[in-house]
Order: sequence, then structure tokens, then C-alpha cells
Amino acid sequence: MNEAEVVIIGAGPAGLSAAIQSARCGLRVTVLDEFMKPGGRLLGQLHEEKKGVWWNGIEEADRLYEDAVNSGVHIRLGTTVYHIEKENRWVTETSEGTWESRCLLLAAGAAETPLPISGWTLPGVMSIGAAQVMTNVHRVTPGNKGIIIGINPLTMAIARELQLAGVEIEGIYIPPYEKKFRQMETPEQILAGMQRMAHLAPSFLLRVGSRFLVNQWTRQKAIQFYPKKGLSVWGIPIHFDKTVTKIIGENEVKGGFISSINAEGIIKEEEQYRKEVDFVCISGGLYPLVELAAVAGCPFYLIPELGGHIPLHNQTMHTPVEGLFVAGNITGIESAKIAMVQGETAGLSMGKAVNGTSRDIEEKLHQSVQNEKRIRAEALIQFHPEVKKGREKMHELWQNYVKESAAAKE
Amino acid sequence: MNRITDHPVLGRTEKKCIEFFLDDTKMTARSGETIAAALLANNIRTLRYHEASGSPRGIYCNIGHCFECRVEVDGKTGVRACMTEVCSGMRVYRQQQLPRPFQEGGRER
Amino acid sequence: MMDRETIICRCEEVTYEELITTADSYHCSARELKLRTRAGMGICGGRTCRFLIEDAAEESKEKVYENIPLKYQPPVRPMRFDEGGKNK
Ligand SMILES: Cc1cc2nc3c(=O)[nH]c(=O)nc-3n(C[C@H](O)[C@H](O)[C@H](O)COP(=O)(O)OP(=O)(O)OC[C@H]3O[C@@H](n4cnc5c(N)ncnc54)[C@H](O)[C@@H]3O)c2cc1C
Repeated sequence: MNEAEVVIIGAGPAGLSAAIQSARCGLRVTVLDEFMKPGGRLLGQLHEEKKGVWWNGIEEADRLYEDAVNSGVHIRLGTTVYHIEKENRWVTETSEGTWESRCLLLAAGAAETPLPISGWTLPGVMSIGAAQVMTNVHRVTPGNKGIIIGINPLTMAIARELQLAGVEIEGIYIPPYEKKFRQMETPEQILAGMQRMAHLAPSFLLRVGSRFLVNQWTRQKAIQFYPKKGLSVWGIPIHFDKTVTKIIGENEVKGGFISSINAEGIIKEEEQYRKEVDFVCISGGLYPLVELAAVAGCPFYLIPELGGHIPLHNQTMHTPVEGLFVAGNITGIESAKIAMVQGETAGLSMGKAVNGTSRDIEEKLHQSVQNEKRIRAEALIQFHPEVKKGREKMHELWQNYVKESAAAKE
Repeated sequence: MNRITDHPVLGRTEKKCIEFFLDDTKMTARSGETIAAALLANNIRTLRYHEASGSPRGIYCNIGHCFECRVEVDGKTGVRACMTEVCSGMRVYRQQQLPRPFQEGGRER
Repeated sequence: MMDRETIICRCEEVTYEELITTADSYHCSARELKLRTRAGMGICGGRTCRFLIEDAAEESKEKVYENIPLKYQPPVRPMRFDEGGKNK
């Protein structure tokens, strides 16, 4: 049995930032991650923040990793966590053995929401995140020319990254709409979401005209009169009036069937044609990867603004389960900068849990919680426009929970 | 060539070449990359055939969640190609469709 | 409208058609739908299709979930027998 005061699952920005803070509080910290490199989803990120100034995820990950190692953190890569359990202490079962710890931090990040499309099991069809990792981390292109299905901030960010690497994007299309699936949106709803993409798709907003985004009726009109060739962003055509009904190919992707649609996502049968491409990316958005929090018995709430079911937690990253903490995208889908500051908060909270309180730690914690709010307000990439409201909802749910459990004790 | 050696922002990469095998055929990889990346760089997109239907499958999520890319590595089955570093001399095999004698007359696929 | 032959659960190759006809004939919960069709029971543990199965199940038409309808069970990743419990 391996032993530590703090075990952290996930070496992404949240997990590594937490590890650094806890180690600086003097704790013995081990970080576990199943991938062979530290950094989590940070590794694939590459955004232009201002003209010529890039957010380079690989550099950020290197910096965090170095800081962590210099602070005395043990990092175990290639280590898959299967199960966690609370006995006297937390027991974490992995492919490389068992760890016991006083505190456990879940920083497992997010997963991609699927969009099932006829033919999506063909080799050459991949999630948009898969293409990001291939291109930016492994430096192998997903193909020569591809189609992207799904329009959201991740699409816009990664389309640009693919283009930078010399990959041609034939076009970005609306996913086929099916009312039954709650995660799916109509073209009109997707267009409404473009407002939050000012930074990622500036020319698009200029061309459509932001006044067309303000209400449902104008959005419907915008789709009805949408230019047949699409509107281009960074030279990539975006098609709000078209979907891909079928991905075609015998043994691997050869192309897709494109159909025109109306603002409600209904297909216009008469307008169908074929496009030849050698890869397809599906971009359905992100949801928090909460499986381990569920196994640990943490209560959950559905908060769509945060991306789905979220484990109950407070602003200092405690869950109601003793010794269990959460940070990063498992608490809601946001950018890596938020994950980092949440990690710092969680790291300090674990320091406090083990060492007890002090003026110093309380001040740092207070500062860290304030930093999170500031960074959110300044964020260039926002996955959900109402994320702040989602965070407030969680805060209320926590306060209710505290009240109720106090009442239950009496 | 589908390797991005020169990137306008990320710069140049030069990694050591190593050799490994897919279904006993020799392939070249770069040290430090995953099996999935090495295979894609060799233009191999089919990583397995579905055990029941035999339909070809390749990488899907590339971050360890979907298990679509599982291959046999040095005798060990169910290894995720997207999470595993390729090593010199590694022997990788694609999973093939399985015979299903007991499924006949059962649910049709 | 989605093509009915579209595969929803990639691991077990369960189509949209199979899911909705099963949900319609048995009026079943997400859990029962899973057991009847094997959707979400494959090697990935439903990480890819879980939400789609929840929506395809009859009961989900009006209900908004507070808690998670399909339970998460350990192990959260398929475990190899030669790995479980080993200590390095
Ligand atoms: C595919 C994808 C692409 C993204 N691209 C962007 C982007 O371009 N820009 C942006 O701002 N945000 C992006 N995000 C959002 C991203 O989640 C955050 O930016 C940030 O990386 C979240 O940090 P985190 O530390 O919470 O989780 P992550 O960075 O996701 O790290 C979590 C780590 O936990 C590990 N892990 C999970 N489960 C286990 C287990 N059972 N056992 C062992 N290890 C485990 C994973 O291997 C991973 O390394 C992306 C997310 C995804 C899923």
C-alpha cells in the first residue's frame, strides 16, 4: 500500500495547481493520472489571446509540472484509477496499486458530449478534442481535409488550431437535430449561442450582425436568408443552414451527405449533395467527468449552465463527504485558468484540513476565492454564457444543504 | 506527409525515430508519442474490428474515455492506443471479429 | 430527424431504432432500457452514450433529473484481472 496525506486524481491544470499549494503547505502529495504526460487537456490548447500573444497549453503544462516537482509533489503517470472508497482514510485503487490518504481531490476534468450521426463509427470520424490532441500534442494531422459537425466555442478554437497546422476545413455544419435528445439544439438555438464567441469568431458576428442574434424571430430570419456558401471565419465556411445527415465510406471516411435545413433543424429533402473529405470531427460540447464523485457517494445537482450533473461543493472546493475535494472541470465547464485557480483553492483547503486553520491560510483562501471570480469576469473563452449564474446556483444549493443538515442534527 | 514538423506557433519538433510492428508489419514511430499517433502517422486509421459485427473502428475520443482504440500490445489485450506510449520493438495487433457460435439464432446484428 | 439506423451505443452497436422501439414497447426506465438492449453496458461503461440512453427512455420525456438516473458503478474503467489489487 502506498500512502500520502493528499492524493489527487488528475494531473490537469486543476490537479497540478492543487498539488503545488498543498505541497507548499508542507503536505505529502501524490498526483495520479492515466495519461503518459502531465497537463491534462491543457496540453492541446493553443489560443491567440491578443494579436500575437498565444496561450500555449504545452508551455503552461511544463511550468506547472516543474513547479510541482520542485515543491516535492510525487506524480505518477500511466496510472488509471478504477475505484475510490472511504474506509478510515481514502483508498484509491489503480492499475499500479493502491493509495491511502487523508484527503482526496477529484480533478478528473471533462469528457466530450457525443453527437450520434449515421456513419460515425467509421475510422476517420473523431471527436473534435481527438483532433486537437493529435495535431497539437502529437503533431500528426487527423487528415488532409475535413468537415466539422457542431458549432460551439471548442469548435471555433480547434478549427483555428487545425488550420494553423495546415489542415483544410471544408466547412463547419450544424449537427442533425433530434428532439428526443435534450443535449441537441436547433440551428436557431445554436445561433443564439454565438454571442459568447465574440473572441473566437469576431468576423462571423460582424457579418451576421449582432442585431440578428437578439431574438428568436430575427435569428430565424438570419437562417432563412443565410448565404448559401456560408459565412467564413478565419476563411473557414460556417453553415447555419446545413447539416451532415450521413458520414459515408466503406472502410474509412470518404465524405458526407450535406442537407439544407430550416431554423428548426428540419431537413429539406430536395437539397442534398455530397462532399468528399478524409476526416470528420464531431463537436458536441463538454460535460464534467463525475464518475468518481458518484462512486464516492457525493450528492449531485443538474446545473445546465455548468455543463450537466455537478457534485455538490462549496467555494473552497469541499464536498459534503469528509476529506473529499473537487476542482476544475468536474465542478463545471470553464477554461483552464479557472481550473488552475480552483486547484489552488482546493490545495489550500487540504492544507487547512490537515494542518488546522491559521490567519495566513484563511487569508490565502479568501484571496484565491476572489481570484476565481476575477478570472471568470475577465475570461475570453466562455463555454456557457450563464456560467456565473450556474456557480451562484451551486452556492445556494450548498447553503441549503448546510442548513438542512444542521436542522437534521437537532 | 501528415506529421507537423514545423508549426507556426509551436515551432519545430525533431524526435528520434523508432520501429515497432502492427500485425507483424514494421512501422516507424517517433519516440514519446502514443501508439494511436504513430499509427495515424503511418496512415493507419483502422485500429480494430468490432468483435461482433466486424465493422472497422479507429480512434474516437483520443483521451482514454471511449475505449474504441483498444489493441493488443505485447500479448496484453484491451490496451488503449491513445494512452500508451509506443516503444521500440513493440508488437501491436488489431482485434479481429470474434466467432460467435452461441449467438446464432439469438439477437440479430 | 435522426436516421433510425444510427448507432447510439458504439460499444454494443445498439441503434436508435432498437432503443426507441424497446422504450415504446416496454415503457421502460433508463436502467431497464440498458439491460434490455445492452446499450451503455459495453466496455466504455456508457461514458459515450449515457445521456442519449437516458433521453431515449420513456420516463425522461418530462422529468428533469436532480440526481443521476443511471448509476455509476466501480470500476470506472475496465479492469484487467492481472492488475487489480497489485501493489508496486
Ligand atoms: C477534449 C477537450 C478539449 C478541450 N479544449 C479546451 C480548449 O481548447 N480551451 C479551453 O479553454 N478549454 C478546453 N477544454 C476544457 C478543459 O477541460 C479545461 O480547459 C481544463 O483543462 C480543465 O482542467 P482540469 O484540471 O479540470 O481537467 P483536465 O485538464 O481534463 O485533466 C484531468 C486529468 O485527469 C485524468 N483522469 C481522469 N480520470 C482519470 C482516472 N480515472 N484515472 C486516472 N486519471 C484520470 C485525465 O487523464 C486528465 O489528464 C477541453 C476539454 C476537453 C475534454
